[in-house]
Amino acid sequence: MRPRTALPVLGEYLAWWTALALLWLVLVSTVDVLELVVGAGTAALAALAARAARRAVTGR
Amino acid sequence: MNGWLLAAAVVLAGGVGATLWGVATGPLRRRVVAQNLSSALACPILLLLSQGYDRPSYVDLALVLALLGPVGTLVFARLLADELAGDPPRAWGATWAAAGVGAGVVLALCAATAPGRATVKLLLTGALLIGGNVVASRALAGGFRGVRRG
Amino acid sequence: MADALIAVALLLVAVSATVAVVTRDPVRQALVLAVLGIVLAVLFTVLQAPDVGLSQLAVGSALTPLLLLLTVRKVRRRAQDRDGGR
Repeated sequence: MRPRTALPVLGEYLAWWTALALLWLVLVSTVDVLELVVGAGTAALAALAARAARRAVTGR
Repeated sequence: MNGWLLAAAVVLAGGVGATLWGVATGPLRRRVVAQNLSSALACPILLLLSQGYDRPSYVDLALVLALLGPVGTLVFARLLADELAGDPPRAWGATWAAAGVGAGVVLALCAATAPGRATVKLLLTGALLIGGNVVASRALAGGFRGVRRG
Repeated sequence: MADALIAVALLLVAVSATVAVVTRDPVRQALVLAVLGIVLAVLFTVLQAPDVGLSQLAVGSALTPLLLLLTVRKVRRRAQDRDGGR
């Protein structure tokens, strides 16, 4: 992958990750370290799925 | 005497009772609209119950219903599209009335709880509730007929 | 106040379940069953069993109608094919 295409892809992935991690942070009942670690991991996986879904919908 | 529980009982007896009547009688187009309204009214009831019993974790039920209620209505809109195509149900007055109940309940609860993450969760639930029901009503009225064969 | 809520929820469950039994057309029955699922979830919440209510919501509001309507559609299509081939 060339740097010119890698940068927008990484930017979109990071945007999804930030939004999903914030959603997790809002929805959990108590905030502690374990919740944050699990949330960051789940958001990383879910961001991959979200990007795949976005590409499937817009067709690009 | 708990005002939140009283409000929940009133909405349950009046609102959901009326939608039960609507779903039990009449033509198919009215029944579909009544089913959509029942989920739109049950979500504020669950929010009121959560506040009335003073259990913030009960908000999860309302959140799940706000997500899954419109999904159920979209199932009906998609699989009954042929039956509803000739005379599509339009009930924007009732839809916006139910959305108004939801918005009022969410705002009242936001005023009653201390500002913080719980407020954001409540607002998220309200946005999902109103947005989901408007989308579901539009799907029932045939607003997405162009993407039906997609 | 809690007793009145339980009474209202129980009454609604009884009425909607009776209507679901009385309704003959499977499509309309699916609509009544969706409402019954939601009312049952409210009843479970009123009885302080939100975990049961959560699974009831997941199953009753979207999954049961989907299965019923898919079955109705498949049966109708099969009947049409049989009539067309005759």
